Amino acid sequence: MLNIQTRQEGNASVVTIQGKVNFEVTAQLRDVIRDTVTTLQPKLLVINLESVSFIDSSGLGLLVAARNSVDKNNGKLHLCALPPQVKKTFDQTNLTNYFSIFTTEQDALRGA
Amino acid sequence: MQKGVVLVVDDEAPIRDILSFYLKRAGYTVLLAENGRAALDEMAKLQPDLILSDLRMPEMAGDELCQAVKGDPRTRDTFFVLVSALDGTASKIGGLNLGADDMISKPFHAQEVMAKVESAFRIIGMQKEIKRQNLELTRFQERMTAELGLAARLQEGLLPPIPGQAGNIRYTHRYLPAEGIGGDIYAILNLPDDSVALMIADVSGHGVTAALISAMVKTCFENQVRFGHGPLAWAQAMNRDLARSTLAEQFATAFLARLDPASDTLQYVAAGHVAPMLISQGATGGKRVPTVLGERGFMLGIDENLQFQQQTCPFMKGDRLIVYTDGLVEVEREDRSFLGDEGLLEICSDLPADEEEAADRIVRQAVAFNESTPFSDDVTLVVLDRLG
Repeated sequence: MLNIQTRQEGNASVVTIQGKVNFEVTAQLRDVIRDTVTTLQPKLLVINLESVSFIDSSGLGLLVAARNSVDKNNGKLHLCALPPQVKKTFDQTNLTNYFSIFTTEQDALRGA
Repeated sequence: MQKGVVLVVDDEAPIRDILSFYLKRAGYTVLLAENGRAALDEMAKLQPDLILSDLRMPEMAGDELCQAVKGDPRTRDTFFVLVSALDGTASKIGGLNLGADDMISKPFHAQEVMAKVESAFRIIGMQKEIKRQNLELTRFQERMTAELGLAARLQEGLLPPIPGQAGNIRYTHRYLPAEGIGGDIYAILNLPDDSVALMIADVSGHGVTAALISAMVKTCFENQVRFGHGPLAWAQAMNRDLARSTLAEQFATAFLARLDPASDTLQYVAAGHVAPMLISQGATGGKRVPTVLGERGFMLGIDENLQFQQQTCPFMKGDRLIVYTDGLVEVEREDRSFLGDEGLLEICSDLPADEEEAADRIVRQAVAFNESTPFSDDVTLVVLDRLG
């Protein structure tokens, strides 16, 4: 089960994901991110991964594609609150160095 | 336009006549029978879409006819309306329990019967459409299954034949795709200088798309290896090719290595791939302490400008290398735990000398750990022993 919530914080859009991000649910997540990026064209997109228990390579692919589409709109993508299991996957794929990753959502929103 | 065939079954001629008159006027083809037996004879000549049958008749009554029609696979889809003088809910339920699709109580108005017939034909039309679509879907599915089977055999053909030997490296693999075909691929090539080039990759996603990309990854690797150089150059070229030719979300994790007996070294690039295990003197079996070749690296295909790093470690005569894809260790059990690389490390710390037996034991122990949960992702495991 995947639960996705979006909300606006000023110029920023915040997408909060809960559950297991794998091949079966990427379509659902892709639609939400695409809708958010195309309709709101946020200057900053924050994706909160605090309640994600697992992410597989298709989930990582989706996040990379999200960064690329936000880049095209001259926006920024900030990820925040990665749980240890997710952090490990990011480390292994060196994506820790590809994304801007923040400890808390407040930090991600401030961009600090 | 033909509106369909209605069989009217009644032992009273005036009733047959009146129904026949209305039905013909509405454009239906009408068959007539005076009892159930005669009705079955008529049906042998022309199959009706709808049967309007009286309940009480000599020789064979309507309930018996209904059972005969509904009990025969060739005729059971015929819409059956029982016409009964026995009024009341109980008898109606009784008729429907016999398998009749609807009931009309006697005496009836011809208009009421015609309205029922029209509504029955709307249902018949929908049923026919559903049947047609079902058949189309079944055929389509059969075709796809056959094609996928063919593709799966072709993909297995892309893997190196086993047991295999390249230079003085002997190897075997276990390959378990999640959906017949999958996104895992590996390749081993013997190079002119007696070193061996190795590549294992896991393309994101499953199924046909992942399989197509995996074939592309293999071709790309083989082309690069022909140019010479080493894992770093191969990784950079493969990354560029993948970034340029795949869609936004398609990537591959990969482990690329050159096993060089002349210098007793293993040069490798880890591109976001699960870390292989190197077992010093592992080819002779027994209790060992595996080394995890855990290096960080980007997956292939994210961005063509990303940089990769090459590492070197000793690889001596008698050493064993175990490479795999994450499907082997990432099955989530009911208690939400995974085997993980730690669990695999434990399994690999005591293996038989024979590569085939070692590969079997690894898969068997991973399956045992997963308890009843089956593999959900593609699984590839390769065991390589340096002999000389």
